[in-house]
Amino acid sequence: MPPSVTHQFTWPRRTANRVRGLSRLSPTAAAGVVIIVCFGVLALFSEWFMTHDPVSSYPNRILQGPSFEHWFGTDGNGMDIFSRVIYGAKFGFGIAIPAVIIAVLIGIPVGLIAGYRGGALDEILMRIFDGLRVFPSIILALAVVAATGQSLLNVVLVLGFLDSPVFARLVRAEVLALRSSNFVESAIAAGNPTWRILFFHLLPNTIQGAMAQTAVRAAWAVRISATLAFLGIGIQAPTPEWGAMIRQGAEFMVTGQWWVAIFPGIALIFLVFGLNLLGDGIQDILDPRRRASK
Amino acid sequence: MNLLKITDLQTHFVFHDIDNYRREARALNKVNLNLNRGEILGIVGETGAGKSLTAQSICGLLRPPAKVVGGSVLFLGKELLSLAEEDLNDIRGAEIGMVVQNPKSSLDPLTRIGDQLVRIHQTHTASAVSVARSKAIAMMHAVGIPDPEKRFSAWPHELSGGMAQRVLIAMALMNEPKLLIADEPTTGLDVTVQAQILELLKDLVRRFEMGTIIITHDLGIVAHYCDKVAVMFAGEIVEYGTVTDIFRRPGHPYTKQLLASTPEKLKLNEAGSLGGQPPDLFNLPEGCLSQDRCSLASDQCRTPPPVITLETGQTVRCHFALQ
Amino acid sequence: MVLPLLIGVVFVTFMLVRVGGLDPVGLLAGPTATAEEFTMIRKDLGLDQPLWKQFLIYGGQVIQGDLGESWLSNRPVLEDITTRSFISLELLFWGIGLGAAIGIPVGLRAAFKPNRRFDQVTRIISLLGFSIPTYWLGLVMLFVFFYLLGWAPPGMGRISLMVSPPEFVTGSYLIDGLIEANWEAAHSALTHLILPVLCLAIVSAAPIIKQTRAIALEVIASDTVRYARACGLKIKTLRAIVFRNSATPIITFVGTEITGLVGTMSLIEYVFAWGGLGQYGLNAIVRGDFTAVQGYVLTLALFSVLIFLIVDIVVAIIEPRSQLN
Repeated sequence: MPPSVTHQFTWPRRTANRVRGLSRLSPTAAAGVVIIVCFGVLALFSEWFMTHDPVSSYPNRILQGPSFEHWFGTDGNGMDIFSRVIYGAKFGFGIAIPAVIIAVLIGIPVGLIAGYRGGALDEILMRIFDGLRVFPSIILALAVVAATGQSLLNVVLVLGFLDSPVFARLVRAEVLALRSSNFVESAIAAGNPTWRILFFHLLPNTIQGAMAQTAVRAAWAVRISATLAFLGIGIQAPTPEWGAMIRQGAEFMVTGQWWVAIFPGIALIFLVFGLNLLGDGIQDILDPRRRASK
Repeated sequence: MNLLKITDLQTHFVFHDIDNYRREARALNKVNLNLNRGEILGIVGETGAGKSLTAQSICGLLRPPAKVVGGSVLFLGKELLSLAEEDLNDIRGAEIGMVVQNPKSSLDPLTRIGDQLVRIHQTHTASAVSVARSKAIAMMHAVGIPDPEKRFSAWPHELSGGMAQRVLIAMALMNEPKLLIADEPTTGLDVTVQAQILELLKDLVRRFEMGTIIITHDLGIVAHYCDKVAVMFAGEIVEYGTVTDIFRRPGHPYTKQLLASTPEKLKLNEAGSLGGQPPDLFNLPEGCLSQDRCSLASDQCRTPPPVITLETGQTVRCHFALQ
Repeated sequence: MVLPLLIGVVFVTFMLVRVGGLDPVGLLAGPTATAEEFTMIRKDLGLDQPLWKQFLIYGGQVIQGDLGESWLSNRPVLEDITTRSFISLELLFWGIGLGAAIGIPVGLRAAFKPNRRFDQVTRIISLLGFSIPTYWLGLVMLFVFFYLLGWAPPGMGRISLMVSPPEFVTGSYLIDGLIEANWEAAHSALTHLILPVLCLAIVSAAPIIKQTRAIALEVIASDTVRYARACGLKIKTLRAIVFRNSATPIITFVGTEITGLVGTMSLIEYVFAWGGLGQYGLNAIVRGDFTAVQGYVLTLALFSVLIFLIVDIVVAIIEPRSQLN
């Protein structure tokens, strides 16, 4: 086994080492990263890739199939679907990244404190989380967003909030395992204040599992935000968001204009797939038993 | 012919860790052992010395990342290391019986113990279920399980540790093995139960004329029940010979240390070590592996020590064996 | 232990709708209502009471089975929900049934031969399954099988408009049709069932495959299986041991999956106009019918609690280690 981890403040360096070994260790993670980076590029530099303006309509070219002029065809308002799909990447990242950040920022401290302090606080929090688990997450997200007003900001906030229990629970479990370990006890005995113990000693050693989840939760955030848009909640009509585009394309599916809904769906699938690949790959790396044998 | 002849057995851990370094450790280094029918060999050493690994290497039960990379294991003249899994399966549980650690977690929690005894018998012999059943009950009786008829339909979780251990012994003996390997058969049991089980083992070994390997970190067990002993440290056998010879005149500094540090009960501490860190198999010192703890250590110890055979017949892996 | 959970559930459902900016009064009253009408409606809905009183009143009503009236349908929510629950149950049953029937064997097989080609392909496919939005899948299936191939009926409802549904026995058109020997109805129901069930099965199979594989791998690495190998038991026996020891965690997992699947099922109902609880609930959410939303979410939560209870009971029965035995 590798030399026992010296629990000093070396975790930045260790993480960098691991990142370097990532691609050689897990092709799934590498593939996931490639896909995500591609979408990231599309999102950041959409202007370079779009062939038309995503929100201007060409009234005399409604519902045209894919052609040289419009690679993915046009939709019911005569807008170019290809450009809209490219632009939609912005929404994918723009919603998922802040949502996951919020979830992490809420969930990890809550998990640390609940696990460390224990007692009544911990009990109550866990009961609340358990109670929330009873509701199907999609419906919960839907209902809350619908109730609290339908803006993009709300969607991000709600998703971030609803995702935090996952991180809290993971971190808490790790903290519980480490709480009575030697090095934590010696840190306490050395007179470190609680906040220092939490953030300098416990945090680096407990976030591994949680970090692995970020990709998976980001995938979920992208999916759910698209689902919300598909139902018409949170994002309004002419916005080139993939879920909203599928919504518009739904009525045309049964009349044969498949391109309106299929292309945004494919884009959605790929981005979510890439994120899931990354998440799965990270899990492989962290849990040696699951790794592909040499 | 020897029952079991192990020559230069070499087992390594090989894997790539999180920082993508290929790590290889010598878990077992040139292990040599001999066993005849009716003999009881004790393998003794600290935790992590490689005792269980030896047993697992013999039977093909290594878990990745451990792999056998060299040597030979001859069981009644058959090379076990080159057998296919199906053939090994035929031998395991029949000609070679294993008693593992952790009896309570090893028994199948979803099958009654009587049925498990019958199952191991039916796997290796084509006999009627009723025959197997009576044999199982007889075996339970032999290992000292009270009220075997009733206990036949007990679930594993209903048994105490000692009872479960007896069941494991019964299971190992169901098919009258020629070789019995018992890995820490009494760890975790209280002293009286320990003595009972060991007496039982000794008795059964004499009765069935089995060759037996007892793996333990308890020198007392070795002293009272074994004929031969192999002392292991960091994956190597540092001393090997009869119990009488070695206990009377230990040849290796490490053996001397073991015997000296535990006067009356001849027992290693709870964790099975003499104190100090267990050797890091990935960062072994050059030459003799015990030089860090040895009072006799000198520059010469940086070269691998030879295996010297003393006049009594015991072998010692040390530069200073003849002193 | 269940009781506080139930109370919590009711509380969350209650708060869910009152949390945000939805103004049910405004929606009910319409744009031309006067101030008096506003106050009247408010009083009528009990919204002029302090929040905690409202909660108690609501709690009391729930216990008595009064879930209020949907302003969309003008019928008691309870009635709306009960009629539709069986419809959704049928879809859920076939969907998860098929999903588990595919997912569990595939997951087990992947675990028995890990990291070979079957396993790697399966992992990729199941990850894909995680990534496909169900509603999109439903749309694509409609396109391919209805529009292009003409094999499936249009995605509207559970039975063709031109066929009269059979007598109510179980609530399932398919089963009732078969009971009645009404082949036309049964056939129509079957053709309408195929696509939504397939969608649900595909989406539910993915996580089941992944988790079954993980569970089986853990069992294979356990002391129990190791010892079984040391006993020289045959491969077939080993497989049976792995399977039996994986059963409990797999069942528990499928139970959790079901609770999540209800959400996906609602989306499928929406796409296929199934007329079940899911479509009802989604419509209610989208249109702000807040009593209906409350009833819908409450029902879903209660259903989940019920499923967890059932799973606990099943596990207690099959596990000799449980307290019962």
